[in-house]
Amino acid sequence: MKGLLIKDLKLLKVQKNFFLLILCIAIGTAIFANNTSVSFVIGFLSFVGTLFTLSSISYDEFDNGNAFLFSLPITRKSYVAEKYGFGMILGGSFWVFGTLIVILKEIIANKYVSMDTIIAAFIILPIVFVVLAVMMPFQLKFGGEKGRIAIICALMIVFITGIIITKIANALQINLSSIFNQIAALNKSILILAIIVVTFLVLFLSYRISLSIMKKKEF
Amino acid sequence: MLKMEHVRKNYKSFSLNCSLEVKSGYVTGLIGKNGAGKSTIFKIILGLITKDSGRISLFDKDIQITDDQDKQNLGVVLSDSGFSGYLSINDIVPVLEHLYEHFDKSAFLKQIQRFGLPQNQKIKEFSTGMKAKLKIITAISHNAKFLLLDEPTAGLDVTARDELLDMLREFMEQDETRSILISSHVSTDLETLCDDLYMIHEGNIIFHEDTDVLLSDYALLKITPQQYSDIDKRYILKSKIENYGYRCLTNQKQYYLENYPKITIENGTIDQVITMMSGGAEI
Repeated sequence: MKGLLIKDLKLLKVQKNFFLLILCIAIGTAIFANNTSVSFVIGFLSFVGTLFTLSSISYDEFDNGNAFLFSLPITRKSYVAEKYGFGMILGGSFWVFGTLIVILKEIIANKYVSMDTIIAAFIILPIVFVVLAVMMPFQLKFGGEKGRIAIICALMIVFITGIIITKIANALQINLSSIFNQIAALNKSILILAIIVVTFLVLFLSYRISLSIMKKKEF
Repeated sequence: MLKMEHVRKNYKSFSLNCSLEVKSGYVTGLIGKNGAGKSTIFKIILGLITKDSGRISLFDKDIQITDDQDKQNLGVVLSDSGFSGYLSINDIVPVLEHLYEHFDKSAFLKQIQRFGLPQNQKIKEFSTGMKAKLKIITAISHNAKFLLLDEPTAGLDVTARDELLDMLREFMEQDETRSILISSHVSTDLETLCDDLYMIHEGNIIFHEDTDVLLSDYALLKITPQQYSDIDKRYILKSKIENYGYRCLTNQKQYYLENYPKITIENGTIDQVITMMSGGAEI
C-alpha cells in the first residue's frame, strides 16, 4: 500500500505546475473576490485535489501499465483501498489548504472568522468525498475517456430521477421543500453526525462496488 | 516451481490449451510466433487473466491461493507493459523499496549505472533497449526465486540481447534453485540460455525437448522421392514436400547418419524444428 501511495505521489509531482497554477487561482480568488467566494475557494481546491486520484488511475492504465502493476506484490483489494485513501488524503490536504487561505483572508480583511465560513468548509468536505465515491467506480469500470461519458450519463439519470420524484410528490401532494426545511432545522450536531455517517456509508458502498469491478478486470 | 496442467482459455478467435512444467533450477524457454499464445500463458500464471479450466501450481501451491508473499518471490518482465512512462528511475526506487521486502537498492543502482541508464529521465523518453534493461534489472533486484520473462529481448539489437542474457546467466549462477520461464520468438536467444524448450503454435504446445537433445539428436533429412520411399520412417517426426523431394525432421540423427550415408543431413536448429513442427505433415 505504501509503495502504491509513493508511486501516486511521484505521479502527482509530474503535475506540479498544474497544481501550483490551481493554488494561485485559489489564492487570487480569495484575495480579489468578495465573501461569497469562500465556498468556491475551498470547494475548488478540494475537488481538484481529490479528483487527482482519478487521473492517477488513467496514468496506471496508460500503455497497459496495469498488467505490470498487478504482477508486483499488489492485490486488487489493496489497489482499490489505496485509490480511495489517496483521494481522501489529497482531498483532505487541499481542503485544509483552502480553508486556511480563506481563514487567513478573513482575518486580514475583517479581523475575525465568520461561523458561516467554518460551516461552509465542513459541508464541502463530505460533498467532495461523496463525489469521489460516485466517480471512482465509473473511472475503474470504464477508464478515462469512457468514464467521463458514463459519469455524464449517470448525472443525467440522477437529474431525471429527481424530476420524476418531484412530479410524483406533486401528484401525491407531498411538500418536498417543507421536508428539506425540517431536515435543515434539526439540531446542527445531529445533522453533522448524520452527514458524516452518510458520507462514510456512501464511500464504503462505493469501495465495495469498485472492488468487485477490479476483481473482474482482466489485463 | 511451476506446473500447468491442461490450462484452457478461450477467446472468440483464439483458444489456448497448455500443459507445461518449469523445474527448480531450470531455465525453460517458450518459443512461438507472434500471437501463438505466449503472453496469454504469462498473464494466466500472474492472475492478470482468468483461466477457463485446468490446474496451475506455483511454488507447490494452487495458483488460486497464491498471495502477496508468493509474488515477493517472482520477478516479472511483460512485453507490453512496465512502470508508468511518466516516472523516472529515481521515482521507482522508493516504490520498489516499499513493495519488495528483499529489494537490494545498492545492487539495483549498481546495475543501473553499469548499463548507463539515466536516473532522472522519464522512462517514456528511454530507448527500447534502455526500457528492456530497466525491466530486467527490476525483475532481478529483489532476490526472486522465479523469473517470468515475456519477450524480454524484443526489439533489441544483438549486443543488447547478449548483455541481457548475460545478466540472466549471472542471476542463475547466484542460486542454483532459481528458475526462469522465458519466452521469445528469437530462437538464438533461447538456444544458448535454456535447459529445455516448449514450442507453442496456435495456442497449443506442440513440442517439448531438452535443448541439448534438440541440438544433438534432431536433424533435417533432405531426400529425393526415391530415397523417401526406401527410407525407414520410424524416426521421422514430420515431413514436407519440397521441389527436390522431401524435407524430413528426425530426432534420431545418428541412426540416419549410420544407415543412410548418401542422404543429405543437416543439424537441427530451433528455427528448423519450429518450421517443421508447425508446418510439416505427420508421417
